[in-house]
Amino acid sequence: MRAQFRLRIRLVLALVVLAALFIFVRLYFVQIVHGAEYAQKADRQFAAGGSGLFDRGAIYFMRKDGTFISAATLATGFLVAINPQTIRDPEAVYAALAPLASSTLTHDAFLAAAAKKNQVHIEVAHRLSEENGRTLSSLDEPGVQVLRERWRYYPGDTLAAQSIGIVTYGSGDTLTGRTGLEAAYDGTLSRSGDSLYKNFFAELFSNVGNLLVNARDAREGDIVTTIEPEVQTRLEDDLAKVTKRYSSKESGGIIMDSATGAILALASYPSYNGNDLQKVEGALLGNPLVEHVHEFGSIMKPLTMTAALDAGVITPATTYNDTGCITVNTRQICNWDLKARGVIPMKQIIVQSLNVGAAWIATELGQEKFRAYFTALFGQKTGIDLPSEGRALLGNLSKPQQIGYDTAAFGQGIAITPLQMVRALGALANGGVMVQPHLVSAVRLSSGIVRQLDWSERVPVFSATATRETTEMMTAVVDEKLQDGKARIPTMSVAAKTGTAQLTDGRGGYHTDRFFHSFVGFFPSYSPRFIVLLYTNDPQHVTYAADTLSPSFLDLVHFLIDYYAVPPDRGLPAPSGATSSPRAIP
Amino acid sequence: MHKVHSFLPFSFLSLVSGTAAVLVVAYIGLIAVVMSYAALTVEFSQSVKNDEAAVATLESRYLVSVARTTSLDYAATGYAKPVVELFVPAQSVTAFR
Repeated sequence: MRAQFRLRIRLVLALVVLAALFIFVRLYFVQIVHGAEYAQKADRQFAAGGSGLFDRGAIYFMRKDGTFISAATLATGFLVAINPQTIRDPEAVYAALAPLASSTLTHDAFLAAAAKKNQVHIEVAHRLSEENGRTLSSLDEPGVQVLRERWRYYPGDTLAAQSIGIVTYGSGDTLTGRTGLEAAYDGTLSRSGDSLYKNFFAELFSNVGNLLVNARDAREGDIVTTIEPEVQTRLEDDLAKVTKRYSSKESGGIIMDSATGAILALASYPSYNGNDLQKVEGALLGNPLVEHVHEFGSIMKPLTMTAALDAGVITPATTYNDTGCITVNTRQICNWDLKARGVIPMKQIIVQSLNVGAAWIATELGQEKFRAYFTALFGQKTGIDLPSEGRALLGNLSKPQQIGYDTAAFGQGIAITPLQMVRALGALANGGVMVQPHLVSAVRLSSGIVRQLDWSERVPVFSATATRETTEMMTAVVDEKLQDGKARIPTMSVAAKTGTAQLTDGRGGYHTDRFFHSFVGFFPSYSPRFIVLLYTNDPQHVTYAADTLSPSFLDLVHFLIDYYAVPPDRGLPAPSGATSSPRAIP
Repeated sequence: MHKVHSFLPFSFLSLVSGTAAVLVVAYIGLIAVVMSYAALTVEFSQSVKNDEAAVATLESRYLVSVARTTSLDYAATGYAKPVVELFVPAQSVTAFR
């Protein structure tokens, strides 16, 4: 009896061992031999479980008080699909649907879809509101399905559209970032298909490591920009006004924190509405402030001046004899008004914007030093977190002809992106150190961790002494010259420079009656918080940037002072004084 | 078997059958839990997305109002420029915003 029992036990044991062996062999084939195939199949099942509902991280503006405002988010609603095989009376169905989906559903298109009797699922209307979708669903029409739908939505419509970017279908059937921050941070914003329908037990047993550190949660998240929505709105409004008033081809502007490189506003006009891309020209989808290069004209002079001051070849007290026009390599360089000034100090080159003076400084500086300074300023991309950044065209600085250096000294013959320009000019506002312009300050990961991005790279170019001397000259531009001195703000020092460049004619020469206007300024002059760069391309019936861009610049300066409550840096008596500096309003 | 019989008041077959029954019930229970978990996950996630969409609508209204305020022509609406601006050393109320 005992032997028989042992036999039975051994038999059961053998069966168990065999079963275990079978399971192990099966596991080997499932996980090792056909592992990749099953993994793909599982992924497909996960994706199918998601029903194709679009998911993507959000992009936020950040108000000055730290509040997040959505720049790009998801909208939810419904789509309407029909089954032509089960629709009995298409006209009646359309009559029921039309009032609720009239904007996206045309009569002819609906009937054409309903006539396709060999199909069982045709989507006839998208992006229905929550209310309309539920009303349609309650009608319970045979052959009509009302399904949940989600899509990318930009609450600001046109606001910062070229910086935020868009999502489109790429080569596959997945919406991915195509331009702007949507493209630059696509890896962070895009979502895996299984996030909604995650199978807890499958997750538990398939990858125990994920329970401790989930790589996806450490990668996916929302992004927080440095763009301040009210500042951005103000800049866009000013650019639209100047473009319309002077029938310019385009206008653009950047407002940046000069100490950190955080961009508070970056805009160009015309732009587009990210929620309505049906009729948008492809050329508008890029970001001209980052991708396009321009000859900026006289706003280059402060950089030329600072380079020479830094190199020690001139001092603010240095004088030169301004003859109104000079000839260099058989080419003539003249002041904007063709007039000679005689023997004058360096400050007047900035205040009166004298081309002959800038060319004189370039000659004094010498080609090698000039090239070294300008290569340090413009030779590299800024590294901003936007795609397709352009490079400066500095070819003239590789040639031995002095004319190339002389014209570059006043911003002609070399072409720079607006972003490179504001970064370089920002060095004047930042003690001679260039900062790294950026649009995103932090990534809010799905794990809940907020990861601050590191934009601390600094490139020293000038000495603090040289930048202060140039700043004094630029401050005099506002206090003495701009709008004949009426632009002066008694309680705030503002440093600025205008630029008017002739446009190239495409044949190696320049138009004499078509211009590119630019304007740069920062304030408070000696402890700047903001630097503002504006430009307008090919304005009509106006010659000088002082006419086109001064009102916009001053509007922005006053707005920023008020909005950020920038404390006065001059013109106020001791706190015991009650009042000071009354100013008549022009 | 005799030993099992000697220690337990029921048969070995009953023990195995009972264990199998418990496992089947547990398995069905786990399936139910997983299904409920998945359904709740979907529901909560959808709820969050709907709320986010509602917030986005409010944010859109805010941005529209900012744009309207920015582009408003104050002179056309009856406001006049002050004759004189007086700069005083006072803390701006906007500094607290």
